[in-house]
Amino acid sequence: MTLQDNFNKHSKEYIFSNDALLSKDRQKTFNKIELKKFDKRNNESLKNINFSDLNSFNYYYEPSVEESSVNLLEKKIYQINFINGKCKNYEDNDIEIRNIQSSDFDKFKDKNFYETDDIISDFNKIFLNSGIFIKIKTNSKVKLNLIHTSHKNYTIFQHNFFQFQKNCEVIIEDEYNFMDATINNIQYNILANEGSNINHNIFQNFSNSNKLYFTSNTICEKNSSFSQNTFNFAEGFVRNFHYAKLNGEFSKAILKGCFFLKDKNICSNKTHITHNAENCESDQIYKGILNDSSRANYYSNTHVSEIAQKTQGYQLSKGILLTDNCSFFSKPELRIFADDVKCSHGSTIGPVDESALFYLRSRGINKNEAMKMIISSFIDDDLQYLDDKNIDRINKSLSNYLTSI
Amino acid sequence: MIFLNINNLNVSIEGKKIIHDFSLNINQGEVHAIMGPNGSGKSTLANVLAGNENYEVNSGQIIFKDHNLLDLNIEERAKQGMFLAFQYPVEIPGVNITPFLQASLNSKLKNENKEELDSLSFARLLRNKAEELGINSEMLKRSINTGFSGGEKKRYEILQMSVLNPEFTIFDETDSGLDVDALKIVTEGINKFKNKNNSFLIITHYQKLLDYIRPDFVHVMRNGKIIKSGNISLANEIEESGYQNF
Repeated sequence: MTLQDNFNKHSKEYIFSNDALLSKDRQKTFNKIELKKFDKRNNESLKNINFSDLNSFNYYYEPSVEESSVNLLEKKIYQINFINGKCKNYEDNDIEIRNIQSSDFDKFKDKNFYETDDIISDFNKIFLNSGIFIKIKTNSKVKLNLIHTSHKNYTIFQHNFFQFQKNCEVIIEDEYNFMDATINNIQYNILANEGSNINHNIFQNFSNSNKLYFTSNTICEKNSSFSQNTFNFAEGFVRNFHYAKLNGEFSKAILKGCFFLKDKNICSNKTHITHNAENCESDQIYKGILNDSSRANYYSNTHVSEIAQKTQGYQLSKGILLTDNCSFFSKPELRIFADDVKCSHGSTIGPVDESALFYLRSRGINKNEAMKMIISSFIDDDLQYLDDKNIDRINKSLSNYLTSI
Repeated sequence: MIFLNINNLNVSIEGKKIIHDFSLNINQGEVHAIMGPNGSGKSTLANVLAGNENYEVNSGQIIFKDHNLLDLNIEERAKQGMFLAFQYPVEIPGVNITPFLQASLNSKLKNENKEELDSLSFARLLRNKAEELGINSEMLKRSINTGFSGGEKKRYEILQMSVLNPEFTIFDETDSGLDVDALKIVTEGINKFKNKNNSFLIITHYQKLLDYIRPDFVHVMRNGKIIKSGNISLANEIEESGYQNF
């Protein structure tokens, strides 16, 4: 089905289809894409994406019969089960959870979250069919376990708002339970208010018939900190594009990720951090292991505004290519408009370190095991902030991946 | 049994011939030292014996414990009891020393049809060996050679040797980068390990190392072959007048 067919046929099914302002915005965005009023070749948001997949997918979304749920596992630990992008409303002294309302877009619009040249975000806007709003209240300390379940053949266009009020401390864990042949375009808008401290761990592991386009936009206010760790073991296509803006002094954003690809799998990654205030810090670190004929890209971008003096920005990308047929494209970028900053970037892509392999083998470790040791060591640093349950989860995924080597 | 016999070995790397018609015989319990100027092929020999695949063996034969060594890959040689103490031990961040060394020892024990050690028994063994070598147990929690000083790296090589208990050890310029005190500690470790069943090939530029580990034979290597063999007095001669006379 063409984009036009999808748009026309299902226009009444999209969420907020009765809202005149949002509908107008939708139509405008649709026209931009339909008329291809963008530079497809130089648009990073489309790198490694088959545009015909976007143009001719079968939109399918029906209100779910299955009840979503919010479970309080232990004190302050919430398990939130999304069913096809929707969840149950819930509120207590620490948290408010509800499905999104059209007014949420106005509230967050002032914060200038959106990147205008991200076509995948445009698709999210056009076909939006679900989303939730989560507020963590001032001074609360909570852990959120978000489980995204998508039913077979569903196309999920989900837009979520997270509002972290002052001085709250939150750990978010995202995991996915995609049934089969699903398309998931999920967008997070995250507002970290003054003094808040957010750790966001993302575990992507699903079969190859599913696709995930995951975009996050984060704004950090004064003294806040946002740390994101993405672990991508998915066999299906994943696009991880994560943007952060450091709008308040002494705020910090860390966007880290690692991916493990095999067969003909593709993964597209981008991080973009904008420094809009003084004395802020950012890290962007992505690592990947690629086997068979897989391919990946990683764009990292640090933008330091004129007023953002005393900025510290760091970028690193590392890739290990296990065959001659896989490829990893990495492009670090620094745009610095302030004069008192400390920024650096690095990128290394290549095969497994031969000298390390020789060293391990010379101690009696066979080649396969030695490769596994080196690959496992690649993400050792990334595990140190995870709890035992999640370390076990990663080790299990890793050992599953390593069986293919 | 032939312990180690190298016969007419010729080796090249990227088309450049490094070792020419090299022959050497080492018996069980013997300590041999190879001395030579830079570029004489000493480290190449060490790497070839350990199985480094970057080097091409053009011709010749190496018999180790009655096996054709050139038929064995790197790990098979290690399991047969060959150990290379590296000149520049490589740092491998994220690979922890203890499980790595346990896997190494167990692969060797398995090859010998012996019972493998569980984690507890291995930890006890490693701690005891580390104590003998004056290695702090904190070091055993770290990644392989990561953040180690030059002296620590060499001591860690000796610890590995001591745990794996090889029958034949090659020391590739183990003295390089060590101060006098560190050299003494490292060589004490080697001497503790030395017995009538294991043999050593010590590769060095300087006679100093041989003050601590007395070799049975000293060989001078130049342009990829042994040009003179003798006893410790040969090392003293080199110390006095350099390699010019060879």
